[in-house]
Amino acid sequence: MKGVLRSIVQRLTGGSGEYSITVPVMDGALKPNNYLDRLPAVGTLEEPDNLVSDGVTAYLTSGPTLYRVDQLGAMTATARETAPVTCLALSPSGALAIGLATGGLRILGGRHDGKVFGIDDKVRIGAPTAAVFADDDTLVVCNGSAVNPATEWRRDLLGLGRTGSVVKVDLASGAASTMADRLAWPSGISLAGGGTVVVSEAWHHRLIGLRLDGTAERVALADLPAYPGRIAAAAGGGYWLSLFAVRSQLQEFVLREPRYRREMMASIDPKYWIAPSLSSGKSFKEPLQAGGVIRLGIHKPWAPTRSYGLVARLDEQLQPVWSAHSRADGERHGITSVAELAGRALITARGSNELLAMDHTELEEPLDLHIQTEAAQ
Amino acid sequence: MEALERLYFRYFPEKILGEVLTKRWSDNAVPVFATLLVIGYFLFQNPHFFTFSSMVETSRQLSEFSLVVVAMGIVLLAGGLDLSVGSVFAFANITALICMNLLGWPVWASVLATLTVGGLCGAINGFLIGYLRIRAFLTTLVTLIIIRSIVDIIILRYAVQISAGFPESDLWFFLGEGSILGMPVSFLVAVIVVGLWHVVLTRARAGWHISAVGGGRRSAYNAGLDVKFTVFTTYVWSSLLASLAGLFFAARLNSAGSDTGVGLEIAALTAAVLGGNSLGGGRGSVMKSVLGAIVVLVLTDSMVRVGISGGISSMILGIILLLVVAIDVRWLKNRHKILNKVYVSPAYFRLADLPETDAGSGSPYALNDRLKDVTLIGKGEIEGPEDVIFDRSDNLYCPNRHGDIIRFFAPDYKRWEVFAHIGGHPLGMAFDAAENLNVCIGGMGLYRISPDRTVSKLTDETKRTLLSVIDDSRLKLADDLDIAPDGRIFFSEATIRYDMHDWATDALESRGNGRLICYDPRDGSTQTILRNLQFPNGVCMAGDGQSLLFAETWGCRINRYWFEGPKKGTCEPVIGNLPGYPDNINRASDGNFWVALVGMRTPALDLMLRMPGVRKRMAKRVAQDEWLFPNINTGCVLKFGQTGEILESYWDLGGKNHPMVTSMREHKGYLYLGGLYNDRIGRLKLPNADPLWTSQAFYWGDKP
Repeated sequence: MKGVLRSIVQRLTGGSGEYSITVPVMDGALKPNNYLDRLPAVGTLEEPDNLVSDGVTAYLTSGPTLYRVDQLGAMTATARETAPVTCLALSPSGALAIGLATGGLRILGGRHDGKVFGIDDKVRIGAPTAAVFADDDTLVVCNGSAVNPATEWRRDLLGLGRTGSVVKVDLASGAASTMADRLAWPSGISLAGGGTVVVSEAWHHRLIGLRLDGTAERVALADLPAYPGRIAAAAGGGYWLSLFAVRSQLQEFVLREPRYRREMMASIDPKYWIAPSLSSGKSFKEPLQAGGVIRLGIHKPWAPTRSYGLVARLDEQLQPVWSAHSRADGERHGITSVAELAGRALITARGSNELLAMDHTELEEPLDLHIQTEAAQ
Repeated sequence: MEALERLYFRYFPEKILGEVLTKRWSDNAVPVFATLLVIGYFLFQNPHFFTFSSMVETSRQLSEFSLVVVAMGIVLLAGGLDLSVGSVFAFANITALICMNLLGWPVWASVLATLTVGGLCGAINGFLIGYLRIRAFLTTLVTLIIIRSIVDIIILRYAVQISAGFPESDLWFFLGEGSILGMPVSFLVAVIVVGLWHVVLTRARAGWHISAVGGGRRSAYNAGLDVKFTVFTTYVWSSLLASLAGLFFAARLNSAGSDTGVGLEIAALTAAVLGGNSLGGGRGSVMKSVLGAIVVLVLTDSMVRVGISGGISSMILGIILLLVVAIDVRWLKNRHKILNKVYVSPAYFRLADLPETDAGSGSPYALNDRLKDVTLIGKGEIEGPEDVIFDRSDNLYCPNRHGDIIRFFAPDYKRWEVFAHIGGHPLGMAFDAAENLNVCIGGMGLYRISPDRTVSKLTDETKRTLLSVIDDSRLKLADDLDIAPDGRIFFSEATIRYDMHDWATDALESRGNGRLICYDPRDGSTQTILRNLQFPNGVCMAGDGQSLLFAETWGCRINRYWFEGPKKGTCEPVIGNLPGYPDNINRASDGNFWVALVGMRTPALDLMLRMPGVRKRMAKRVAQDEWLFPNINTGCVLKFGQTGEILESYWDLGGKNHPMVTSMREHKGYLYLGGLYNDRIGRLKLPNADPLWTSQAFYWGDKP
């Protein structure tokens, strides 16, 4: 009753609480820069997605293909799956867990080579978005949604998806247990020490901490101005958090307009929805917002945009320390993962189909982080 | 659901609400409503409340009281406050009585003396506040006390003599008790004074100065006004009006009571603020004061009649004052916010399905990269060339956003000069038979530049639409024009609800806000031909001397209008359901027409056009930069034939050279492209065009 009353008050008072469409500003550690646009690209490939590394070898997925990345950044195709790969995890002994767009995960290499999980009705992992090996026999998987496959993440967002879960799979027995459910598109996971994992819950714009024994749950970092994706531990302590798209007022507004949302999903090609995207500007049918109008040949960097590039460097307590951006006028949008290889961080940019290399991996922010571009001056 | 929404947005006058709020008289709505409510209430209590004789008596009181309230209103308007009106009123009363009863002066001398005394009191206030810059509140509080003490001293000494004396003057009696045509004299005088002040405050220089000083003292000073003198005069006028009221009071009652005018300042202040005069200054009018006076007088009178004791009725007045001051402050602070929220007033609009534009789809709109080979003119040197045109010597003219007409010199178009400076934002251009350049200027109207660079205004207004709330007689956004063979200039006014800088916001309304207008140089008349058009834009003669083509940008269609011949006055669509938003239309050398699409339709916006409620909420809640917009970052050029069939399309796939195309002009085998937000002009060689064709020769024939 109290909840209903509060909801009515929030709706009537111009939209507060759940009905608020306010988006946190990017400031402090998330102050915008164009660092990603200044990084060198070490390779180009179609839709680079999940990059994992043990510090010596890295693996990268692109559509159904699995690549091995050597220390110089050269890529060699090593395997081809039957469906697009949606996530990848690397075990301490070098085995790979490969999540597929059709659902389920396949183990490649190691003791459990060839085993497939999450496709039977008992343990259905329909939308593997991220996974991590707790040890060689235990895999923890983010299942983005119980309804939509991993590739239909936009539909899940606009459908106000709250059906995601985190599942722990014992690879030896095949037994699976749900560590947390009713999550809003869990989309990234990393071991956080002390028997815990940290999970990014994209549609709630936050990181949550979970215990592997499934007991406690806490919010580690909330109110992000962007949708958090995959998380990877950094060699120098702390984490890399890739945020695959930014939130916008218009987006939050559309999420609170049921009829428009339904009609849009029913009648319009998903490419042209009012929805975040990993790249933008490919077609004139994409929605444009007032600030994005090009004037005198200049696309304003602050313009509202459907796609954005953002990597945040988090400390041990999961608080952001600095971040690298590619703003509305940049190209390196849709950052899907970060992994360290041979002393530098490799970054996958879906928006520009590039593999970027960043030499600076420390927790302190690089000295040249905030260099003004000509357009921004 | 969709049908319901369509009906609601078609018939519910939400747009008018927003427009009313832009009016200054919208402040009066509350006091008028309060007046009706109060009168209605007491009428309901007792239908015989207002008899003719009580009305006459009330009107006498009202004339005195409203003079005092108008006095207060004038001071408030200049940003001041006059608490001494009650004392001045009493002082005037006693002065008049002394002159008449004690000294036995004639009426004219008594009136003069009374007004002089009043004026002097005001001059003291005005000097202290205007020139010595002492706070109005303190100063008038002190003069209130001092003048009141003087009155008390006089009453103490002369009360008996004053009561004993009785003036033997019919004129004096006439002033107090007489009436003309059933109207009390004082009432008529008050009506005349109020009427004069209304004219002064709304029409005269002095009145405007008062509003200006109250609205912004510093700005008024910077604008060269004599702020100190203006403030001084308001207090003088205030006291003069108060003493005029006191004079009538003296003539009416002939009483030297010591409680004359006590508490009048609070009642007057309540009435003035209740009427809608702002305490902060700058907003107010005589009518507001009079309305407030009526409400307060009816209220106090009625309270007396109902039997509420004096103490309680004062308390009620005090509470009302507090309440209206609070409302005044909140209203002033939030008025523009409310206005911002309700001004954008969307309408239901459903476009047909988006035509195919994919490359290789076989559609006439199919994407290509024919604009890839465009060479650029003046890149980075010009800002906002909405249109492009050529004179007979091949020189290129384009407008820029600084209000200039730029001339690029033939043959290479590298050198340029400012041909003429007009101001505003020049948009569409056309040469007439006498080589004059006629230009539509956003924010200004229709202008003409002669070959010797003389700029003259052709027209900047048309007839106001009957019953329109906002004044639409001024041309807000004249957009494009073309000239009929007989010299008449037909031009479009894109929207009457938005200014040049937020023209694209009009798309969110998708209501017919624009007009097609004709200027006739033969008699200098301007006439609105068609209204309620969805952003009428490009205008081009159809070539038969009887009709013209014009584009409706947000309607995604091109229409044909007949201004002569058998079909005169009719308008019918030529092309409907374009894949983008059409802008300027011009002739092609092969007898067809060019049209520029300033932007492309997006499915997300097309859907939102069917949901005006969503757009309204978006305009209210989402920051302006975040609004969903028509995609004006991509454009193209189309060629169509007389019957509206699409012949060709020219696209710039990457959108690098020409993110926006608002206009194109064919000239000697080349196509020249302009764009409102571009910093360049494009030039494209047309493969099959007549290399000698110029629109100037086509329209007006060959001339040396």
